[in-house]
This record gives sequence, structure tokens and C-alpha cells, in this order.
Amino acid sequence: MIEFKSVSKQYPTGQLALYNVNFKLQQGEMAFLTGQSGAGKSTLLKLIALLEIATEGDVFISGQNIHSIKKRQVPAYRRNIGMIFQDHHLLADRTVFENIALPLKIEGMRPQDINRRVRAALDKVNLSKKEKEYPMMLSAGEKQRVGIARAVVNKPSIILADEPTGNLDPDLALDIMHTFKQFNEYGSTVLIASHDHHLIKEMRKRILVLQKVKK
Amino acid sequence: MTAKSKYSTQASSPIVSSLGHHKEAMQYSLLRLWHSPLSTWITLAAIAIALSLPASLHLFLKNLKSLTDDKRQVPTISLFIKQNISEQQARDRGELLQEMDEIDKVVMIPRDEALADFRKIYNFDEALETLGKNPLPHVLVITPHIKLLGDPEMDMKKLAKKLESYSEVDLVQMDIEWVQRLRGILRITERVILIISILLALTVLLVIGNTIRLNIENRKEEIEVSKLIGATTAYIRRPFLYTGIWYGLFGGIISLVLVHVALLFLVTPVNDLAKLYASNFALSGLGIKNTIYILLVSSFLGLIGSWLAVGKHLKEI
Repeated sequence: MIEFKSVSKQYPTGQLALYNVNFKLQQGEMAFLTGQSGAGKSTLLKLIALLEIATEGDVFISGQNIHSIKKRQVPAYRRNIGMIFQDHHLLADRTVFENIALPLKIEGMRPQDINRRVRAALDKVNLSKKEKEYPMMLSAGEKQRVGIARAVVNKPSIILADEPTGNLDPDLALDIMHTFKQFNEYGSTVLIASHDHHLIKEMRKRILVLQKVKK
Repeated sequence: MTAKSKYSTQASSPIVSSLGHHKEAMQYSLLRLWHSPLSTWITLAAIAIALSLPASLHLFLKNLKSLTDDKRQVPTISLFIKQNISEQQARDRGELLQEMDEIDKVVMIPRDEALADFRKIYNFDEALETLGKNPLPHVLVITPHIKLLGDPEMDMKKLAKKLESYSEVDLVQMDIEWVQRLRGILRITERVILIISILLALTVLLVIGNTIRLNIENRKEEIEVSKLIGATTAYIRRPFLYTGIWYGLFGGIISLVLVHVALLFLVTPVNDLAKLYASNFALSGLGIKNTIYILLVSSFLGLIGSWLAVGKHLKEI
């Protein structure tokens, strides 16, 4: 499903973020990506989402080398990936419902289907009563769950999460992780970048460790 | 992409989906304008003022042209007879002219009658008394057969030249001359208005372009998030383009209101002036054709302004 073959990434500033990364994640697998701060966890997720391009090596998704994807095909490719960020990236001037509905609107779904899908996603993250509220009215945990609902609402085949529990207390963090596990059980491949070792151990899933590149 | 196929998506057909996106972008861009009334009104006022100037100049030109385009009035030629020619000789010449194919009507105005009229109209009694004798000549006012003339202006000139050759005639004056002069002035005015219109259209482009640039800056986060979740450039661009169109369209509507308010303000004094010249002239509005034209042009300017701004600034995000 996700395969990295000798992937390196060097930024134009000269910073080497990843060096010779090799791994393979099976379809429907859930794994944690861990490593020191600056080891390249976020860069690796960005490479999968085509937000960055590897300077060396190849990245395969479902057997396709994503570097061969044309620029105009990138939006459609990204619609198959649900991304969750530590700082949520929610739109402040839109309600919870509107934030979650955004990927479906982009996909051109009918309003009645959007309603049904968003309500289902809200139900899964236990936020059904908050659909009319704005992000500023929510707690950090609720915002993260809205972010997750938005990432999964169009049922992507891959879910990528970059430090999704970074700002949350341990109970909330565990709750969020169980939400990811639930979506993994629905069939999505889940890759979570985190440096919370206790939480990772508790989830008992595969762990990919990134070593910081030595200069 | 198993999960995707496992849960089938109910995405609409491409056409329905595209129409839905357009509808959403139209509504969303309108709502955004509605939610920031101050900046919207300031921008609309700037656009409306910039558009109302060429629109009102165009209207001014249109009204002036209507003076020269009045085909109902048949042009006439005035023949001023030499002072030493008697009234009878002048009448004889008038009768001979009446026989000509290209002349429809000849009216003789004897010098005494002209003087009496002059006294009546201008109340110049005392001044005329000091002259001692009547300074006015006999005048033959000739109305040509307009239907027989191919090109009225050219053939009138030929006729005038022919009339000038008669020994009794001192001076030939075509009352079409003022029209020709006015047309000359109008041609220059037209060019000036075109230049002003182009400059003001550029101003509208800049105003809308800059407004859209600020909109893009303010919605940078939204654009980034949309890109992350798979929005196409067209999807992101669309609301900004509609915003530009709304600015152009509403700016155009306000400019039309301004122009017609100004027109109402001028109707009475212009009518009074026209009465003084015994003219039926009345100010006319822009009309449906020009109104639609102005709205189309203003909307198009909005689209172009926003397109240029979006093209340049979206790439930077």
C-alpha cells in the first residue's frame, strides 16, 4: 500500500531531512512513525501527501510511483488521503459541520449525501451536538476530533496524522488514538507520526523509527 | 485504494458537480461581500465612480449626437442677395430657382420684412435708426429636394456652389454648417472619451485586482487547507472570480444609478434652455441597450481584474 524505496529528501536550504528511507506498509495496516524531533517524521508524511517531492528514491502508493502523478492529478490523489495536523487547520469562520463537509463539497457530492456523511462522521467522533458551533468554541480535543472527522469523511484509503495528540492530555490522547484504530478497522491504512512513546506502546501497533540524519 | 471502493461515493455527475461548485462559489462570494459591508461599499463606491464618469460622458455625447442626427429637419440654404438688386429682381431669381429639379421650395424674405422682424425680436429700434438705411439684404431661403440628393452633405455643397454663380447672389450660407462643425467637435470628444474610458477601465481593473489580492491574503489559511484536502486550482479560484464579477456588476449598477440621478438633476434646466432656442430637444437616458452594455463591460472588467490577481497571487500560496 505505502512503500518507500531508498527515499531521501534534501530541502533547497541544504538541510537533509530524510536519508535512504525504506519501508513497506500493507493495505489496512496501522503504524506509528516515531523518532527524535527533527528526524523527518513530518517530511515523510508530506512526501506521501505530495506536499513535498523526494530528491532521491521512489514512493509507491497502491503500487503506483507517486512521482509519476501529473500536477493536475494531484488534487484527486490527495482526496484519497485524509490528513490530520497537530494544530487542526480548521477554518475559523466555518461551523463544525461546514469544516467537515469541505472535502465532500470539493468532491462535488450532492447536498443530501453531504448531510448524511457529515452527520455519520460527527457521530463517530462523538460531536453530533456541536455541528453548529465554530472552532473557537471547542476544546483542543474537540477540535482535533473535528480534524479527524474532516479527514475521514470522504472515506480515504490512507489516513496520515502528524502529532495528532501533541496538545492533548493523556486520556484525550488515548481516546483520539482509539478513534484512529476504529477507522483503521473500517479499512483505511493509518500512519501516525508521534513521539508519545507511552501512547504508542499502549496501542500495540507496528512502529517505524526514524533516525535523525547525522551531518 | 480499497477503502474508497469499499464505501462507494455518491459524487454527482461531472456537469451536476460543476454546476454545484459554481452555485456554491456564487453564493459563498456573495455572502462574503455581505459579511464585510464597509470594505465592500468602499470598493463598490470606487468602482462606481470610475465607471460613472465614462458612462455620463457617453450619455452627454449621445445627447449631443441626437442634435446632429435629427433627420426630420430638412437642411436649407440661405441666399443673401446683393444690396443693389431690387426686390422684384430678387423675386424673379426666386421664381427661376423654383423651376430647378433639385429645389423643392423657395421662400423670399424681403429686406424690409427682415428688418421689421429684427426690430420685433431684438428690440434694436434705436440702434437701427442710427444706421439711417436698412443694412439687411433680400434673402431667398431654399429648401432642396432631400429625396433627390444621394449624399445630402456632398450634393448640398454642389448646389450651393451652383447658386453662388448667379450674379444677384452675394453670399450663400448652408444651415448644415453648424451641424458639420458640431460633428467635428463630437469626433474629437469621442476620442477623448475613449481615452478616458480606457484609463478608467484600467483603474477599475486595479481596484478589483487589489481587492481580490487582499481577499486572497485574508483567506490564505483557507486556501492552504483546501489544497491539502484535494481542492483543484479551479475550485479555489472560482469564488474569487465570482467576487470580481459581483464587484464589477454591482459597481456598474451603482454607476448607472449615479448617472441617472445626475440626469434627473439636469432635465429641467436643459429643457428650459431648449425652449429658449425653440427646440424640441430633450435629454435622453442611456436606454436598455447601453445599460446592458455597461453592466456587461463592468462585470467583464471585474472578471478580468480578479483573474489577473488570482493568477498571480494563488501561485504564491
